[in-house]
Amino acid sequence: MGFIEKVKGIFKRSDKAEAAPAPAKEAPAKEAVAKAAEFPADSPIDGYVPGLGAPPGGKINLAIYWAAACGGCDVSLLDTDEKILNVSDMSNIVMWPIAVDGKEKDIEAMEDGEITVAIINGAIRNSENEHMAKLLRKKSQILVSYGACACLGGSPALANLVPGGHKEIKDHVYSKVPSSANFLADSGKKIEDVMPRPVYEAPEGTLTLPVLYDTVKTLDQTVDVDYYIPGCPPTQKSIAQLLNALVGFVYKGEALPPKGTVIGVLAKSLCEECHRHKENRRITNVYEPHEVMNVDHDLCLLDQGILCLGAGTIAGCGAPCTKADQPCRGCYGPTQPVSEQGASIFTAIASLFPVQANDATMDEDDMDEIMSVINDPLGYFYAFSMSKSLIKRAVKEGGQ
Amino acid sequence: MADFEPKIVAFCCNWCSYAGADGAGVARMQMPTNFRVIRTMCSARVDPEHVLRAFSKGADGVLILGCHPADCHYIGGNYRARRRIALLRMILDQYGFDPKRMKLEWVSASEGEKFQKTVTEFVDTIKALGPSPVRSKEA
Repeated sequence: MGFIEKVKGIFKRSDKAEAAPAPAKEAPAKEAVAKAAEFPADSPIDGYVPGLGAPPGGKINLAIYWAAACGGCDVSLLDTDEKILNVSDMSNIVMWPIAVDGKEKDIEAMEDGEITVAIINGAIRNSENEHMAKLLRKKSQILVSYGACACLGGSPALANLVPGGHKEIKDHVYSKVPSSANFLADSGKKIEDVMPRPVYEAPEGTLTLPVLYDTVKTLDQTVDVDYYIPGCPPTQKSIAQLLNALVGFVYKGEALPPKGTVIGVLAKSLCEECHRHKENRRITNVYEPHEVMNVDHDLCLLDQGILCLGAGTIAGCGAPCTKADQPCRGCYGPTQPVSEQGASIFTAIASLFPVQANDATMDEDDMDEIMSVINDPLGYFYAFSMSKSLIKRAVKEGGQ
Repeated sequence: MADFEPKIVAFCCNWCSYAGADGAGVARMQMPTNFRVIRTMCSARVDPEHVLRAFSKGADGVLILGCHPADCHYIGGNYRARRRIALLRMILDQYGFDPKRMKLEWVSASEGEKFQKTVTEFVDTIKALGPSPVRSKEA
């Protein structure tokens, strides 16, 4: 236990130096308000440090977990190239389902706070996600919410818009999609035979499956979170910033950034980072990027009628999408004074539609007609931020 | 449902509708008291986030009242507002709200009577719709 005491010792020192996170155990899930970025994204990032060796107090424990996510975040951690070697210099990876063999029972056997850093990507969509998030929170000193799904809900949170919740989704997947419907018809099986059951009594014992939730939540709506790294997936730069902060903390006892810091963002919108110039053209129709034959590489995508969400998205990623003639989809989340990313973007986009000569004699149905060129506004403007939106999920009029 | 008294948030622009509401009051027009007025400088100041926040906190209906088209104090604020509100209406519909829970109407400073009529009709609409689905979910 000597090594744990040392790690904790480092923590106490830095606690005094600066408000380092002192994660409250079993703290009620509270949505932390993201604070201003402490890391300017253009600060120099040190590359790989050869021969870093183990920290003076011994290696720290690092856990990486995926909840409801696609796996891209796990892969993005490897984007750090040779810097990943410093991670192995610095830490024992006690859990990383995609890469190492640490199991849930190994984590359960640990003492509270024995893991120094846990990085969780993915939204919280089922009972297993929630259990693991709570377990890792209990065993870890620092919890990092990694990626758009963990920070904002991401694509999995669009499931919140299915009015019938998980029942409707499962029913659709196991009986209505063509392959399932064909299978049911051909095999003569009933839907009960193919529908997964959370509990199954096998001759050898009881088998259980995680239960799917109706509402997909972010990580910070489930457990207390110390740092956020947004992005789908986060950029190499923000991962490097986290690594640098950890190396400074573990090797030199440097203070960590204050709790609630969003790593890798700037205090402005994506448009500030985008290389395109704006002519404030009015638009009357919208296009998908593939529908525009020659996308002007230097002109604002909104001017060309391509719905870009950059105006309401926080900067920090370096605008790689708009550099590649693709619109921003908003994975970095809202700018700092805003809580409702989708509303903030469509406010800006609605203003691009020109005032017409007969506007004064039009009624609101005509307006609906004009704006109906935008298909599925809820899914488009809230593509990543549904869990963090104010309404959060589909509602039912006249429901109980 | 008979004793259901809706909670309604009414955003009124400073230059027309708020004065219109004043006019209705000065003329002692009778109208339901289910609404709370929030004065904004322009109907375009009503960020869709404000409306969504009202709904998320349990408002049963939201009224947005502004100057008539071509009559905006800031020349074009209401033209922008109506385009935003049209998008917001689509979004509320997609969430599953009845789009009639949000209404955009033009009430000028001299139209106390229209203010009274708009509010009365809107309260009736919302009473017919019942409590907001956000409220009934929490209950």
